[in-house]
Amino acid sequence: MKQTLQYNQLSCRLRVEGLPDVSVGQAADVVGIITGWSLEWVGRPVLEGRKEHLLALMQVAFPYARYLISGVHRRFGADPKPVEIGPNPGRGHLLLLRSSQADTPPLQLVLDDAELADLVRVLDQLRLDPRLQLPLELPSPHPLGARELLERRPLVQRLAAPLGGVLALGLAAGLVLLFPEPRPVTPPTASPSTAPQRSS
Amino acid sequence: MPQDPTVPEPRARLPRRGLERLDLLLLGVEALDLNGGESMVWMSEQLGFSSLFPNRVELWKRRCTNPLRRTTRRDGLDPQETDALIHILCALADRLYPLLRGLLTSAEPDGVLQQRWDLFRGRLGELIRERMNPRRGGVQLWLDPEAGALQARQLVQALALGAGAGGFERLRASLLDAQP
Repeated sequence: MKQTLQYNQLSCRLRVEGLPDVSVGQAADVVGIITGWSLEWVGRPVLEGRKEHLLALMQVAFPYARYLISGVHRRFGADPKPVEIGPNPGRGHLLLLRSSQADTPPLQLVLDDAELADLVRVLDQLRLDPRLQLPLELPSPHPLGARELLERRPLVQRLAAPLGGVLALGLAAGLVLLFPEPRPVTPPTASPSTAPQRSS
Repeated sequence: MPQDPTVPEPRARLPRRGLERLDLLLLGVEALDLNGGESMVWMSEQLGFSSLFPNRVELWKRRCTNPLRRTTRRDGLDPQETDALIHILCALADRLYPLLRGLLTSAEPDGVLQQRWDLFRGRLGELIRERMNPRRGGVQLWLDPEAGALQARQLVQALALGAGAGGFERLRASLLDAQP
């Protein structure tokens, strides 16, 4: 009765265990109820959890991959969500898993680009597996707006042009102020010799 | 390759930048696979797009909608044609995934990775010089040693994350991005 779905990539293996939901008449070889899952990484601790954790992982991994394709490195899954993923300050990607127990520190995994692609592939394989007959609430990919695409460029780079413009304007204004003011032009005084003579 | 049943019907036409990126992604596939041009025709037939692209010339014409090409076509792509090209791209990226992964991994010695990247960038550069208009700023950026390296890495990453049936919707959404 118990079913195990398994998806392999070079650096990780996703195993999902579950049962068919007989209350809705599902066949014996499908999974309608997820009872547990595990994600094994080469040389790293095994990640395990309930359906909610798997869904949380998918809910951050897919949008993160979507934004990366557009060149936007954005963090997904801020506290208190159980899973967070974002760019690692050094290199690669930081996957952070928060425990529901208060005294347990979050588990951090640094993935390189290839490992991230492997993770997305196993999650894709699970999502598209016809044996998984369970509605998954996942955000559908959408085109990014111009404002979101601006995040591709670092803030310093984005501000460089307007700040440079303001500085150049200030400098030009300062230089103009250094010029001496032109003396007021005095109107020429009329001398008697040059004054027009009135003829009578 | 199984199709993603959750993908909605095509509606929107690709913007100019989307057309550029789609063709450059296909060019990336050609740089990875020496027989990439033939593979595209074969994959098109395998996926049932023979009515849209009955021969390699028709497939070539659709790719020439890229404004960066030396000889470019102004008629754009229908959403059905766009989707067919993205399906072909995803399927080819799926086949080439081990090569893409080999470029993206950090688990191998730097010298080996450098050689792989040099080879890939060399082929990509040749294809770009051969087919793209070198007077375009976008093309010059690709041929620049520093900016081009960054662009090439992003292209390989996009191919890896868009590989397979699951990557179709992600890639399509990215190609429909607004103009920055």
